[in-house]
Amino acid sequence: MNRDGFKAKRQLGGELVIPVLAVAFTLYYFTTIWNSPWTAQVSAFLVGGILLFVCAIFLVKTALSLRSGEGSLGFGNLFNSNDIRTGRVWLVAATVAYCVLIQWLGFTLTTFLFLSASMFILARARRPLFVVAISAAMAFGGWAVFIWAFDTRFPRGWFEDTMRMVLANG
Amino acid sequence: MGETAALLGDILVLTLGYWWVIIPTIFLGLIVGAIPGFSAANTIIILLPLTLAMELYTGIVFMVALYVSARMGAGIPAILVNIPGTAGAAATPLDGYPMAKAGKGQQALAMSFVASSLGGLLTTVIALAMMPILARVGFYMHSVEMIVVMLFGISLIASIAAQDMLKGLIAGFLGLMIGSIGTDVVFATPRGTFGILELYDGVPLIPALVGLFAVSEAFMIIEKKVIVNEDAEPKNPNWHDTFEGVRMALSRWWHIIWTSIIGLVIGVIPGAGASIASFVAYQQSRTYSKTPEKYGTGHPEGLIAPESANNGVTSGTLVPLLVLGIPGGATAAIMLIVMQFHGVSFGPSLFERQPEIFYGMFMVMAVSYLLMVLTILPLSRYMSHVTTVPTIYLAPMIISFTLVGAFVPREYMFDMYLALGFGVLGYIARRTGYHVAAILIGVILGPLLERYFLLALKKADGDIMTLFSSTLGNVLWVALVLTLVLPGLMNRRRKRQRAQKT
Repeated sequence: MNRDGFKAKRQLGGELVIPVLAVAFTLYYFTTIWNSPWTAQVSAFLVGGILLFVCAIFLVKTALSLRSGEGSLGFGNLFNSNDIRTGRVWLVAATVAYCVLIQWLGFTLTTFLFLSASMFILARARRPLFVVAISAAMAFGGWAVFIWAFDTRFPRGWFEDTMRMVLANG
Repeated sequence: MGETAALLGDILVLTLGYWWVIIPTIFLGLIVGAIPGFSAANTIIILLPLTLAMELYTGIVFMVALYVSARMGAGIPAILVNIPGTAGAAATPLDGYPMAKAGKGQQALAMSFVASSLGGLLTTVIALAMMPILARVGFYMHSVEMIVVMLFGISLIASIAAQDMLKGLIAGFLGLMIGSIGTDVVFATPRGTFGILELYDGVPLIPALVGLFAVSEAFMIIEKKVIVNEDAEPKNPNWHDTFEGVRMALSRWWHIIWTSIIGLVIGVIPGAGASIASFVAYQQSRTYSKTPEKYGTGHPEGLIAPESANNGVTSGTLVPLLVLGIPGGATAAIMLIVMQFHGVSFGPSLFERQPEIFYGMFMVMAVSYLLMVLTILPLSRYMSHVTTVPTIYLAPMIISFTLVGAFVPREYMFDMYLALGFGVLGYIARRTGYHVAAILIGVILGPLLERYFLLALKKADGDIMTLFSSTLGNVLWVALVLTLVLPGLMNRRRKRQRAQKT
């Protein structure tokens, strides 16, 4: 990351996210076993204790790096303008929508909508017909292989029910 | 001896006659192995009505061929898109994916196929020849010994993320804590579940695998136009690369032999599984390598070790099934159910009453490996095209088809949200230098470690010194300490030697 002799500082804020999550989860876990029998506690206290210890060492190391000026508390390695430019933020939003909608719309329709929307966003609205065609082919192919041929337990909806009735009636 | 050879010859001829079952099953297995959530076990369950309706030997041929091909199939997406098809292939991308990114996807696939087939074939022959001895390994592995084996797995966490051991330990122990979520085995006390009923049985492995590897990788790859590096030499797939991959694998024949034997021995231990075997083999390979610094950068031996080992596990899991009637894994358990339905009773007497079943399962495995390498090698040149598909199309496909795979095993919508949660965790880990494989190993080992730890303590009335009470356990402890200390010592020695030379 050398640019004109300038060395970028380590973005320690981003690196602290996992240890902070780990400490918070371990402490929460301890609260759920505090009054439990020893059989429910022993392994968790051992593993959690080691995790807290390792996180403490990491925090001390981070503090020393901050003091020596090697790093900053920035989150640039985690979130930056690139996430908007590449469409990553919208892809995450589309993924959440996929998980929510699939229980109502079923696998095929939701997959078609998700693939179309996310490819449309990532391709910056270029080649819309190709995007729709490839999304339809993938969603229909997925239905044909997994649901129709192998009867896999995918979420079912309007499309799957209609196709089942159509195929059942010849 | 002559009778056995004649019997084996007859069984070989019989098995070769089933090529029409084996070849289509190989392709089915490669597909289901490559898609997270569609393991061989799930597929046999889905096709159970078909399997039960088959004549016994046809059913065995189908199940065993599916089992071995699914194991090999799991390595394909691990190499090409950094997404292992099953947890057993979680160590494969460590060196396979950097090779694919460098434009050597075809070579990596060919190497993986040869290492898997040779490793599987060799361990099948060893298992056949040494069945009575191998079967005793399971008898000697009690809770204390299993704890040390688990700790072997945990010690790998630090070495996998060798660039920053602290981060490796944090990721691994966070995984262990996540793996401890669920009710305790004795009093069913819910622990760390956030009150979510779906977590009472523990954290399911498939959503963890899908989220940590597939979803997070999909979020990452969109930064690039295609998976293969822009500075990689552009070239069309060709036979030369396939043969080069085969040559690279064959020239490391000794490596294939000893790492697949690690897989075989670990596979014999019920419950240990391919994920532990592949990481143990990877770490041992790196420990004794002359160039350990190359591991993780696309080093051929770093790809061969886990692939040979996880295919060695495949033959290992059949040993306790056939000799003791104890399945070594989920697929072996389903095979047991199907074969019991056909009236097969397992145990030492199986060898005397139905030797054709006893030997037949291994023979099917050997024939499947042979046919598999012949049928799949020519396809590696086409498979490697995946690395040149634009990521704007690839990433959404990965997300949709793997997320729905997380739903399949339990049919809970919650599991898709869980996979998404793991995806976000995996994305943060990847962006900030924590290894997702370390988190996954923790999630896998968490419940196993707790189970054996409790068993050992209960047997010894809570005396912690029981961990050092068995001879085999103590030998394993020494081996574990050596495994932790040796890499550091060897590194120092190498540095000293280099300093002396300069």
